[in-house]
Order: sequence, then structure tokens, then C-alpha cells
Amino acid sequence: MGVRVNALTCTGCMACEMACGYHRDDAFALLSSCIVAYRTREKKDYFGVILKEEDSLVIARPEGMEIRKIGDAGGGGGDSSAKPMLLRESCDLCAGMDGGPMCARFCPVDAISVE
Amino acid sequence: MEYLSSGKILIVDLAAGETREEELEDDLISKRIGGIGITTHLLGNYKDQDPIVMGCGLLTGTLYPASDLSIITAKSPVTKTVCHLPVALKAGIEFKYCGFDYLVILGKSANPSMLWIHDGVADLMDASAVWGKDVWQTTDAWRKEMGDDLIQTLVIGNCGERCSDLAQVSVNYWGSGDIWGFGSLFGEKRLKGIAMRGMGLLEVAEAEGFVDHSIKVLSALKQAPWGGKTGITDIVTAMGRQDVSDWMAPMVHRNSSSYNVPYPYSTFLYLDEDPALLKEPEGVEPGIMITSPYVAIAAKDSGMSASEAFKTIRSCLRYGIDPEAAMQISAAEGKKTRGEMEAALDSMSRKDTVGSRPPFSHYCPGHPLFADFGTGKDSGDFEEWWMRRQALAYLFGVDPMFMLMSPEISAQSMMEAVRLGTGVDISEETLNFLVTELCA
Repeated sequence: MGVRVNALTCTGCMACEMACGYHRDDAFALLSSCIVAYRTREKKDYFGVILKEEDSLVIARPEGMEIRKIGDAGGGGGDSSAKPMLLRESCDLCAGMDGGPMCARFCPVDAISVE
Repeated sequence: MEYLSSGKILIVDLAAGETREEELEDDLISKRIGGIGITTHLLGNYKDQDPIVMGCGLLTGTLYPASDLSIITAKSPVTKTVCHLPVALKAGIEFKYCGFDYLVILGKSANPSMLWIHDGVADLMDASAVWGKDVWQTTDAWRKEMGDDLIQTLVIGNCGERCSDLAQVSVNYWGSGDIWGFGSLFGEKRLKGIAMRGMGLLEVAEAEGFVDHSIKVLSALKQAPWGGKTGITDIVTAMGRQDVSDWMAPMVHRNSSSYNVPYPYSTFLYLDEDPALLKEPEGVEPGIMITSPYVAIAAKDSGMSASEAFKTIRSCLRYGIDPEAAMQISAAEGKKTRGEMEAALDSMSRKDTVGSRPPFSHYCPGHPLFADFGTGKDSGDFEEWWMRRQALAYLFGVDPMFMLMSPEISAQSMMEAVRLGTGVDISEETLNFLVTELCA
């Protein structure tokens, strides 16, 4: 079971990122979230979401969703803001919280699902 | 203030080249709540030193829906009154996480300068290298220099440098709700802009309660009548300009949201690429983002083709001029082509005196969007309602456009969120007093 993202539905609002950070820190912060919206290619309007799982990175882009095994060539996951994705904790599906993963609960356009 | 706040005010004296911090007193929050309640208070405190004040709401940057907003408050050179510029997209929350809730900019710098705020640190730096550069070049230069593409900027272009009252304070590359000529205030201070990067953390008084409250509001919003509508195109349609929507629709690449705003009203147009492209474009600058329905309407009313009109808007964004006003002035002067309009940017000026305007930016239409607020009013009779909704947005840090489509975001709901988030109980009497004052 894992979190999956439809990049074409996502509007890049970052609610998922903040919700994940809340799960980690019991406060509002972005640095510790394991799901991150692409924001670095602003002038191109190129967009997507990247998620760190235990052994893989889930990368949702307009081209489609891709799951890359961590350690494989090209699996570094750029665009992850100030803290590289590989240094972040893996998604635990918000273990211990009622209602399932916070990112899915707070996505206003239902671009995030648990499969 | 211990919760949902850094508890600090940053004071910047450009003439002395110095910065200092002051504590944000709990008593001030109890009396003035936050956002423009406090920016107007600080503006009054420093009124003899040409102040520009920036601030955020208590809900800014939280999980409360649409909590994207910071505000710049100053005396407008256009209206000669105190006005408020909404700072949305991702810049509003970047400011909050920088480590200061309020920023007061005083005096004038002798040389071009910029303010770099990050993680509780404020640096006044020389900006000679970007003085003379346009908005896009400046944001690119600062992001490259700091090595971080997520830096958010509030910046002026050449229009602000020449102190035109048509100058905007731009957000990153894009236009803002600045119809006040605040860009000229930056220019007079020789302040090229503010760069922000915040990686702070906001503690929450009753975290679970706050999150539960926020998710309930969001759940109600998901049932709202704007569901399925998107972008500036559906907003201009709701404003009675289906023709504008149809005209620009073929250029729409994507609609995106400001931080945590459920309705995506930032519409990106591809001017030099196929708008249907579903991969990273090869061109570095393929288009523009439109954040105001009035800019789209002014573009259409220019009489040019959509492609030519929005390329003209791109020139306006780079130059840092209010694109709506620039298009209207050009049209009134009989300019019919992009070349004519672009050639006139350097000498463009406001011809007519601007009459009194509300203190809130009119980039948000003056009536409900998609929703029934139960006002019982006929169309054209929404001014009081609109002012109150805008005042609430600017007080609490909630997106002012989304406030026009979301009766679920009520004053009571925001007061409850503040109570859960901070432990501060705001009375209706305090809120109503402030709203009345701010709308006067």
C-alpha cells in the first residue's frame, strides 16, 4: 500500500507538504515532510510531486507517475527544496493518526490517493 | 506570542543601513489580532519615517484552508491614503516562515539595496548589480546568487526605479494586486526588493483541535458550488465576460493554486510553446502567469489578438508596471500594437486623478463568485459585504479571492481556528471594531 499522486489533477498548493510536516513535527513546518511539490521551475510552469517511500521515490509529473528504486541511477530526486529527499524520513502512511495519510486528507482537489 | 507566530517584528532603517528586532507583544495581538490590524498600527507608530509595513495573519501558513496571505501596508502615492497589497502565491507563507511576523521599512537608502530575510536573520545588502535590471532578471539573479530556486521575491522593475505610480511590487516574476503604486515607494527608497526564504516551524496551542477544525472546513468546501470550476477563465465568465474566457482558453497551459488555496486561480498561459504540452518545455520562458481577472479583461479589451496582447502583458510584467493600467492607458491613447505599447512603457504615466478607492485591492471582483452568501442583495449592492470579506481575509491571513467563493470561511470559523491555534480568544466586539475601522 502506498500514496499515489495524479500530477494532472494536482494544483501545486503544497497542502500535502504542510500536512506531512505536521505529522512529523506536531507543528507547522515544511522541512521534514516526505512529500514535496516541485516549485523550482516556476517560469516554465513545470510541475509535479515527489514522495519518499522506504525503498523508492514516487515521482508524479505531467508525463506520468514513475517509481524509482533508491540507489538506481537517476533516482536522486532533484527539486526537493532545501533538504534533499534522500535525507528525509520515508512515508509511513501517517501511522498512528486517525483517518489515513494526512496528505490525502488535506488535498483540496483529491489528487492524492492511497493504493 | 508563543503559537502560530515567531513573536518578532523586524525594523529596517534604510538610511542608517541597520536592522533591529522588537518583540511582538501578546497584548497587541489581543487588541489588533494580526495582519492589517497590526500593520496599520505599526504604520501609525512610524508615520514620520516614510514607513512601508509588511505582515502576516495568525492563520497564514497553517493548515486552515486558503491560509496563503501576507500583506504590505503603506500610504499609496495613487490615492494618498493607507492601502493594503495582498501578497499571495507562495511568497505570503515564505515571509511567515522567515522568522518575523512583521517588517517595518523606514527611510531611504543612499545606494540601491535589497533586504534578504531568512530563518530569523535579516541582511541589508547592496543591489547595485541588479539596479536597472527587470523583474525577471532580478529574481533570477538573486536565486542564482543565493543558490536556492525556492527563494520568493518582492521586487520592482525599471518602472519602480523611475518612481512611476504605475509601478508594482511584483511577486517573483508575476503581477500582484498592487494597484497602489507601491513599486514607486520601493523605488524612492532605492530598495530593489525583498528576498525571502523561511524554514521555520510554527507551534500550535491545541494542535489536534486545530487540524480537526481545518479538515472540517475543508470537507465543507469540497462540497461547494465552485467544484469543477477552475482558473481565471471561469472567474471572468462569472463576471459576465465569457468572451474573455473563450478568447484566452486556447493558450491556457495549467491552473495552479496559491498556498493551500482550494481554487486554482493562477492561470499559466503558454505563449511560445504548445499549451497542451505534457513535459518540460525546452524554452526557458515559455509564458506568463495571470493572477488577476482584470488583467485578462484589459488584455482582451486592447483589441489585439490573444497572442499579441499577452506578449504585451509579459513585457509589462518584466518592466514591473501594473499591466491592467498599462493596457488601459495604451488603449486610451490609441495604441493598437504590441510594438507601440512596449515603446511607450518608459514614458507611460497616469493621466487622470484616481478618485477614492477602497483600501483593498480590486483585483478581487466586487461580488460573490460561484457561491451564495445569503446576503439577499441585488447585484451591484455588494460593496459593504465585499469590504468586510476583504478585511477579514487581510486580518487573518486568508486568500482574498477565495473569500469571495467560500461562505464556509466565516468570521466565527477563523476566530475558532485562532483560539485553537494560539489560545487567544478574540471577542466578536474586538473583531467588529477592527473591521469597521479598517473599512472606514
